[in-house]
Amino acid sequence: MNYIIDIFLIAMSAALINNFVLYYFVGICPFIGVSRNIGMAFGMGCAVTFVITIAAFISWAVTTFVLIPGAPLTAFVAGFFLPGEQAAAVDLTILSYIVYIFAIASSVQFVEMYVRKFFPPLYKSFGVFLPLITTNCAILFACLTIMSNVAVDNPAEAWDLGRALVLAIFGGVGFTIAIVIMAGIREELDMCDVPKPLQGAAITLVTAGILAMGFMGFTGVDSGLKKALKPEPAREMSTNLQDAAPVLARVTIEN
Amino acid sequence: MSAVTIGLAAGTLVGMAVILTYILGWANVAFYVEVDPRVDAVSKVLPGANCGGCGFVGCGEYAEAVVMQGAPVNKCAPGGANCAAAIAQIMGVEVGEALPYRPIVHCGAHTKNKHGISDYRGERRCVTANIVADVQGCTYGCLGFGDCVAACAYDAIHVIDGLATVNYNACVGCGACAKACPRNIITMTPFKADRIFAVLCSNKDAGKEVKKVCDVGCLGCKACERACGLFAIKDNLSCINYDDYDPEHLEDIFKAIDKCPQKGIVLVGKPSEKDLAAVADKEAPSVVTPDFKTTVDDTEWRG
Repeated sequence: MNYIIDIFLIAMSAALINNFVLYYFVGICPFIGVSRNIGMAFGMGCAVTFVITIAAFISWAVTTFVLIPGAPLTAFVAGFFLPGEQAAAVDLTILSYIVYIFAIASSVQFVEMYVRKFFPPLYKSFGVFLPLITTNCAILFACLTIMSNVAVDNPAEAWDLGRALVLAIFGGVGFTIAIVIMAGIREELDMCDVPKPLQGAAITLVTAGILAMGFMGFTGVDSGLKKALKPEPAREMSTNLQDAAPVLARVTIEN
Repeated sequence: MSAVTIGLAAGTLVGMAVILTYILGWANVAFYVEVDPRVDAVSKVLPGANCGGCGFVGCGEYAEAVVMQGAPVNKCAPGGANCAAAIAQIMGVEVGEALPYRPIVHCGAHTKNKHGISDYRGERRCVTANIVADVQGCTYGCLGFGDCVAACAYDAIHVIDGLATVNYNACVGCGACAKACPRNIITMTPFKADRIFAVLCSNKDAGKEVKKVCDVGCLGCKACERACGLFAIKDNLSCINYDDYDPEHLEDIFKAIDKCPQKGIVLVGKPSEKDLAAVADKEAPSVVTPDFKTTVDDTEWRG
């Protein structure tokens, strides 16, 4: 039950409350560039969702098994050269950015081949925008969010694959929602008499800003939801503190 | 310790490179899409203007349609005959007779001929003006805000004194202006000669109503129909049957022009020396050529 609530909270947070585009302002390039008509915007949203999911899967696996201190694969290999404790402490998280970009670029390439083979009309309508997903920072952002939640001090709190994928999929859904709303507004905007100094990019950015302000209205809903759905944390924290107290005492004594 | 970390870091990246390369290499074979080499060849021959005049989205799509679906090879207006011949060679087919399609603006009313023009202060575009009533009396005629001018990539159409006028020397027949016109008064017409006759009106109202809104509109009086078999009155509007149009035998048409009370039948197209000499003694209205001084600054904002 707790797990389902957790998943629900992550999904709501990624899709609406802390929307990638309108709260964190990542992925702005396609948000502005491909939001001229609704059909194309929706296609772009779907492609990003697809890529983000694959990239999240790869990055979660690499982070969990290779990058974080004490990761099984790294510790196993390092065990041949170093004594046990040091082998478990080898920390490769410094590689995270390059590894994630690596993973994103490959998954975009893979998606491009896949779509070209099985959905030729979709491939045709994407055109140049499919390769451009490579440089979409919303995807890197999702990977880094997953890393920060996997590389936590307490291994029990580290995200499993399910949570990582939910964040990725609903992050993509949030991106789709944002870009489709934007495309709808811009289609209407085409018929409006915009003052000359504001025409083009200016009115687009103003629109995006106002839209973001609207989405800021969701701020804090996630903590409220968490309180409503998980009333326990307060007690858990106290027990954790009690558990931690002897350890802390021991540490101070040892020092 | 640090040497091991560096080694592991390098190992991680090399390992990822190997694994991902393997997966992508497999995908490249598994998802291989066979592309007909002729598609590339045809794409190279096409001008790459992506004007859409052929009826397909862009040059790439047209190339694909030619190869895959056997679309006609002579659809590319900007490429012209050379392009059609080159495509035909690639495809191994004969080029059919390709009449050049050129736009005709079926309206002859300049500002002084139009009645009931109101002081329109909205956006200076035909698309928006067209949804407002009473911008001008005639609900069929050219609005003169120049959506077609903006659509033209070849600088071949200009609004002159309130009327869109095609410069047939620059026009390649891509049809962008015909698509842009919200009143659909620009038609793409097969030009059987450099200059052909056209009826410059689109008004389908009865003659009495037309007279209220325009000095030069077609009244539907049927004088031309009686004088020449090429003309037919449909919905109070004279139309030329271009299928039977023969540029060599035009005596009947000159008769019809004499009968036309509004002088709404004129020659359009590129005038050549021969054509000009042939009609020198006839009473056909002359072709207007664009004057750039009056047409450059028509997109200024007046909101």
